[in-house]
Amino acid sequence: MATVEAIKLHKRYGDFVALDDVTLNAESGQLVTLLGPSGCGKSTTLRCLAGFLDPEGGDIKLDGDSILKLPSNRRGFGVVFQNYALFPHMTVAENIGYGLRLRKCPKPELVRRVGEAVDLVRLNGLEDRLPRQISGGQQQRVALARALVMKPRLLLLDEPLANLDARLRDEVRWLIRDLQQQSGITAFYVTHDQSEAMAMSDMVAVMKSGRVAQFATPREIYQKPVERYVADFTGEANFLSCQSVNAQGAGQYAIQAGGAALTVAGVPGLTGRAELLVRPETLRLAAAGEVADFNGRIVKSAFVGASLLCEIALPDGGVLKLTAPPNTPVHVGDAAAVVMDRAQAWLMPEVAP
Amino acid sequence: MSAASATFGGQRTIGLGFSLLIIALYVFLLMPLLTIVGASFTSGMMIEFPPQGFSLKWYHEFLSRKDLVDGLLMSLRVAAITAIVTTTIAMMAALAGQAMAGRMAGWFQLGMTLPLLVPELLTAVGLLFFLYKIGLGKTVLGLQFGHILMAFPYAYVSITAALRQVPSSLEEASSSMGASSWQTFRLVILPLVMPGVAMGAIFAFINSFDLYTISLLLKPIGGNTLPLALFDFLTYEFKPTAAAAATLSILLSLCGVVLVQRLVGLQRAF
Repeated sequence: MATVEAIKLHKRYGDFVALDDVTLNAESGQLVTLLGPSGCGKSTTLRCLAGFLDPEGGDIKLDGDSILKLPSNRRGFGVVFQNYALFPHMTVAENIGYGLRLRKCPKPELVRRVGEAVDLVRLNGLEDRLPRQISGGQQQRVALARALVMKPRLLLLDEPLANLDARLRDEVRWLIRDLQQQSGITAFYVTHDQSEAMAMSDMVAVMKSGRVAQFATPREIYQKPVERYVADFTGEANFLSCQSVNAQGAGQYAIQAGGAALTVAGVPGLTGRAELLVRPETLRLAAAGEVADFNGRIVKSAFVGASLLCEIALPDGGVLKLTAPPNTPVHVGDAAAVVMDRAQAWLMPEVAP
Repeated sequence: MSAASATFGGQRTIGLGFSLLIIALYVFLLMPLLTIVGASFTSGMMIEFPPQGFSLKWYHEFLSRKDLVDGLLMSLRVAAITAIVTTTIAMMAALAGQAMAGRMAGWFQLGMTLPLLVPELLTAVGLLFFLYKIGLGKTVLGLQFGHILMAFPYAYVSITAALRQVPSSLEEASSSMGASSWQTFRLVILPLVMPGVAMGAIFAFINSFDLYTISLLLKPIGGNTLPLALFDFLTYEFKPTAAAAATLSILLSLCGVVLVQRLVGLQRAF
């Protein structure tokens, strides 16, 4: 459908730098997620793409042509808002047909396309209701249908699930992903929820105070983060600090961490201090007689039904969190031996240079 | 147990006291109205309450006095034009005020409500000089200007309050679907702020209908608004004709409110 490039976007509000050199791109049909805490610039980036805000520097290109000069009403993008932004005085059908009506779409075609959109988001029977007469999940589906019915060149979603409860969130999330893939539409998706970002995206941009900390596939973001901030934001993580690293060829390092000597993969070009990322799911308690990677002492354990959460203190002061099968005999104060899937450990800097 | 019932009893006392306060407030607010309405139906010769007997003769008297009826017609006409013109300008001003940011918006807001802050007499004297300068002294048009000026802040405040209730994301959504600013205003903003606009029009109408000082200084030669005509009348004759005129005015205002209520649903304005 359309490729989109945001190139070196800059935006400031007074002294506050909202966007600092933000560069991103979406290939045709990709869903790109902007992930980060509030105030990181993810919504600002989206608003620049939509044309609601003008960046002070940089460019935005659609299929290679700059669209910075185009006002939002001539960009032809579909936008879905966190608060849905449905027109409260119009029915579901009128909301969905609003853009077509503006385009002077002939009545029979308008009715047909609104009907198709209603089918698509499964709102049949609610066409004549007002927004306040339907639930939050239904309102969000109206907002989605309203954006998609225009066959937009680009779909922009600003935290579309934030106001929904957990069960609905799942349902609408898959609906969004399905519709996006069916129609092959290029999309940008803003969220602060890492699981949403992981599950839906082709590419994720993790943002940090107005900058893109890392722009990569969900797998890479999760398994090969460029710095601690990214690892922290994308899921449960243990960090072991290493005083010095020894390069052993391309991206391989020999290190001392958590009282063990290890050879691990990591960000290329590391020197000096570094952090070892160990995701909890890559750790398990050693079976009797098995060779352990780490030896420590259990300081906490909690039974959470499906599993047992344990915290293990290591001799150098590091702490490892891991999950064990629910019936593992574990007592606080016991010695514990831990085995790590070494292929999944990842060495990275505390802060990317 | 006893503590709980004591609390409950305490709440009841507060509830009762509160109800009494509300009733007292309503009596205080409505008493002048009831008195004047009651007095207009008297069959006696003086404005008095309670009225003596029942008669419609003072209404007849009012309608047969050309000076008072002319005043009523002039007031109605000026108030109607004031309501329409003021609401239109106030709508534009409110949109402009909303588009401004930060300190600028605060000063703008203050400027728009200035006629409320400056004593009416000062505004009237200033306007009088100004209108003579531009050749509109003692004309109906000049009077109309004065009324629009005085009624403007009421309409502005009412419409601004309504506009604040419309989230900016609605404008953005409309724009993203291809709407021009004008289309967004006509199809989204205006329908949503309509109750506030209607409220503003009612305020402007009633304010204009009620103005005394401005009208006194700016009134056209040979013309009188109803408040001026009534005051002239009362200076010489303290007859219930004035009460009948006041009752008719109240009735007309009520008609206006009911009409607007029917047309746009006023309850949404609050």
